[in-house]
Amino acid sequence: MADTTFWTGSEKYLCEKDLAQAFHMSRVLGMPLLIEGEPGTGKTELPIQYASDLKLDLFVYPVGSKSNVEQFVARFDHVKYLRDSQVEILNAQREEKGLANRLSTGGRNPESLSDYVSKGPAAKAFSSPNSVLLIDEIDKAPREFPNDLLYALSHRKFILPESGEVVEVSEENMPAIVITSNREQELPTAFKGRCIYHYIHFPDANIMREIIAKHHPTVDTDVVNTAIDVFYHLRKLGLERSPTTREILNWLKYIKQFAKPDAIKKINDLEGVGALIKTQADLIKIKNS
Amino acid sequence: MLETLPTFFREYDLQADIRTLLLLRKAMQKGLVKTLGDIFNVLKGIVVKDPTDLGPFTRAFYEYFLEIDIQNGERLNDAIIRSETFRKWRDEYLQENDVKSPELDELVTLFLDEVHLTSYDIKEIISGKDIYDQDDPYLQDEFSQNGDEGAAERMLDKMADYSELSLEELMRRMEQIAKEQKSKHSGGSHWIGTGGISPYGHGGAAKAGIRVGGSGGGKMARKVLNDRKFFPIDKNAIINDNNVDAALASLKGIEEESSESKLDITATIKNGLKRGGLFIPELRNELNKKLQVILLIDNGGYSMDPYIRTIRELFKKMKTRFAHDLETYYFHNTIYERIYTDPQRRKALPIERLTNKDPNYRIFVIGDASMAPYELDRTSVNTYLKLKKKFKKIVWLNPEPPKYWKYSHTINLIKQLIDMYPLTPKGIETAVREMNKKHTS
Repeated sequence: MADTTFWTGSEKYLCEKDLAQAFHMSRVLGMPLLIEGEPGTGKTELPIQYASDLKLDLFVYPVGSKSNVEQFVARFDHVKYLRDSQVEILNAQREEKGLANRLSTGGRNPESLSDYVSKGPAAKAFSSPNSVLLIDEIDKAPREFPNDLLYALSHRKFILPESGEVVEVSEENMPAIVITSNREQELPTAFKGRCIYHYIHFPDANIMREIIAKHHPTVDTDVVNTAIDVFYHLRKLGLERSPTTREILNWLKYIKQFAKPDAIKKINDLEGVGALIKTQADLIKIKNS
Repeated sequence: MLETLPTFFREYDLQADIRTLLLLRKAMQKGLVKTLGDIFNVLKGIVVKDPTDLGPFTRAFYEYFLEIDIQNGERLNDAIIRSETFRKWRDEYLQENDVKSPELDELVTLFLDEVHLTSYDIKEIISGKDIYDQDDPYLQDEFSQNGDEGAAERMLDKMADYSELSLEELMRRMEQIAKEQKSKHSGGSHWIGTGGISPYGHGGAAKAGIRVGGSGGGKMARKVLNDRKFFPIDKNAIINDNNVDAALASLKGIEEESSESKLDITATIKNGLKRGGLFIPELRNELNKKLQVILLIDNGGYSMDPYIRTIRELFKKMKTRFAHDLETYYFHNTIYERIYTDPQRRKALPIERLTNKDPNYRIFVIGDASMAPYELDRTSVNTYLKLKKKFKKIVWLNPEPPKYWKYSHTINLIKQLIDMYPLTPKGIETAVREMNKKHTS
């Protein structure tokens, strides 16, 4: 039975209530959760932290511009199969000639086709009940990929190539599927229709304070508040690449090695701002502002 | 009574159909829906498919479920305050609670908290079956007005769990209650009323510390309604012209070799059989379809203004189709020795940057090609000749209807330099077909 309890985050990860509810809903309904939102809002973190907190198996499929459903589900290794079948013939010939040493097929048997199927993350996740499957950055995929994926996912069943083995999962045992997107390209409407959609808003200062507390619990409150003020001020400047959660956490990692008055001064002087600002143009813009 | 929901939501340009209802029903069966706040959440997950859907969704929800009609640009608070629903709620709330001179804003916040109260907020859930059995849908208003009998079994500090009931029962009940409600709101396990142990009610459940912190739903709804980001930029811009899609889809790419090699199974088997059963893997370089597209857009001059929407639409479609292989440049009226990488035309590039590209690029020039004759000078003509020489697959898409083309001197000139097609689905289709015919050597 898949886990459908309400999960609200762990010690390290603050899962916003909205997101937690959408995630819960997607698991209860056995539908994938599609998360969109600005970079650095913890889209990818959700399934990773969920899996590690509940000690579930996590399968990750990072999507790229060459992704296809074959990689995602399963692939048949024709070359290995060919090699092994040739090795079998060779071994038989050697045996005839009375030669003792045999070439190894590495425990695979050409008679059993399933030995040559290498399962992708989807097939693996579907064969281990109550697991977590992350499909990361689906917007990077070629246009056909989301729809192919949809077909595969909505049938809750894969037929593995050549071996014909069927990997099937019941609605109850559906893995928790999380799909993330940075909105680099529009996803097909039909695809979105089959997912529970959640848009992560950029955390406000209060939530940011909680997130920081989870990662840097020892840092002084005044220091955190100063850093947050500066951080949100920078975000308002309309930079090419606004700093995100990840960046403020890294910045504080640097700042926290200094004592309080020193640390506050360093924040206001924008020391180590390289952790926050990632382009030359933005640095110039900040210097001028 | 929810069967009108898809139609209602579609009027807000939201995607809602029978599937929405089926999913909602499934969510109810799985026990996800116990409060109005739950309905809001579940519907949001199902219906909202883009951040720009959030605004219309919130409005549609408030109007459909609470009869609070939020006007364009109106603050949620104001819409709530002037609504009949809120007025009734306030009256009853003040009757039940001994509050002296309540702040209106505080009341609205309280109201919002109750609307967006979700079952996640509620620690204690009691079985709703008993309440359902005891509740009389034909309950008349005077009944609850008269005495406290109803109130005694209402258990205001608890939340009813109706998940054991079937959806049909629940729906029938709601319909019945809605009829009753037409006259007057009553207490008890009723829909939009107070004393909220009803699955869609609010009120009581928020009392006696049952809530774990304030629910964020109301805050979010306010935020969403006040931020343009959560509304579509232009509702009418949604043209569903599948012809254009189909035409763009038919753009043929070139096969490109990559360093990755793959086993050529057919060749391996064929050659293996010829060799009398000795199979040696035959490898073949993997071919990848590659399609690169350049858009050159004339975004200057008043003459182009009427077509901006069409162009933006085409651009959007192109962007979807060629997400990673689309380059866009801009020019003003005609192309001289520079093109621009930004619509404001501040960042210039020499035209050579374009002509040095792979000749296999497909180029779409979009512009009305209408200008003062002196603007189309030798430099510009040379640029077009250069482009045409380099890129065999270049077309001009003109938003101006073809019947006017003959009256424009510059259109006639440019038409001779670069093949011109009207910027219509049909025109694009023809242009693409012509493009595919031409082969670069």
